[in-house]
Amino acid sequence: MLGEFLHILAAAAVSWILFVAVDILFKLPEAGGVSGASAIARDIQAGGGALSGGTMMGNIVCSPDASAGTLLAACGVYVAGIPGGLLAAALVFIGNRICHDPGYAGTTGAVLATFVVYAFTLVGFAATDFIAGMVIAILTIQGLSHTHASRLLARLWRFRQ
Amino acid sequence: MDDLLVVLFAVVALIGTVGVYLQRDRFNKLIAVGIIYGGVVPFIVDRGYLDVAIAVSLIIPITTIIMLPLCRRQDHDA
Amino acid sequence: MIALYVVAVIAVFGVVRATLERNTGRKLPFVNVMNFAVAGALVLLLDHPLALVAAVAYFVGSTLEANAIASTYAGGDRRG
Repeated sequence: MLGEFLHILAAAAVSWILFVAVDILFKLPEAGGVSGASAIARDIQAGGGALSGGTMMGNIVCSPDASAGTLLAACGVYVAGIPGGLLAAALVFIGNRICHDPGYAGTTGAVLATFVVYAFTLVGFAATDFIAGMVIAILTIQGLSHTHASRLLARLWRFRQ
Repeated sequence: MDDLLVVLFAVVALIGTVGVYLQRDRFNKLIAVGIIYGGVVPFIVDRGYLDVAIAVSLIIPITTIIMLPLCRRQDHDA
Repeated sequence: MIALYVVAVIAVFGVVRATLERNTGRKLPFVNVMNFAVAGALVLLLDHPLALVAAVAYFVGSTLEANAIASTYAGGDRRG
């Protein structure tokens, strides 16, 4: 029981690092992909947050990005192994096009996460740990405090620039 | 799906339902309608009706997109 | 199977936070947390290849819904 809980926390840390790194590498905090993302960023800034971090959070809401790719790739690996993860990546690509998002962050994140999750299943982790871990990771970004999360993302974005 | 999960997902759907009634802003009402289906879809999947779940998941956003212009037109609270 | 309970509790937490928040722009990220949690729960409930398709369909559909609401809220042209 306790061991599984520790596995989930470790998987949350791994998937947090993975999706934030891919999102910042693909310049999600730079500009809103659709007009709704800019509106969410404006509201988060009005609530005391940072604009570039809010833009990245708006992009996560409005289009399947690397965080969605990581979650769905973990689901795919749990259901059908590596082919399932690659199928999830293809479906995320279709979802990106449906949402008018020109980027490739979601597809890249899904393909990367497929191999990362599969490598961790060889070490002794279960793919379900990564599904729960990814949900915890998105909770820390989107669900606890928008002010602190957006400031943290803005600091990481300044570091990449 | 055991009793605790039934309670948790039912709470999601019920909070969404009460939210539709209580919210004043029309965008917030539409968001609460989306929350209701988030609580309903796990029950459909748990019985094994995966094709129904896929169809419902695709019909819900189309319904919302059709409802959006209607909500924009009337300014008073519906 | 502790993962399923973790995911369900996070879904309820996201819904409670979303209902208590009054600003529409700050409400959408909380709903996004619920969408992630429900999409994960669908696969954890039923281990079947079509469950993956159902999870992707639910996630893309709810993302499209949030996208349309946010775009109309921004006052711009409605997309998707």
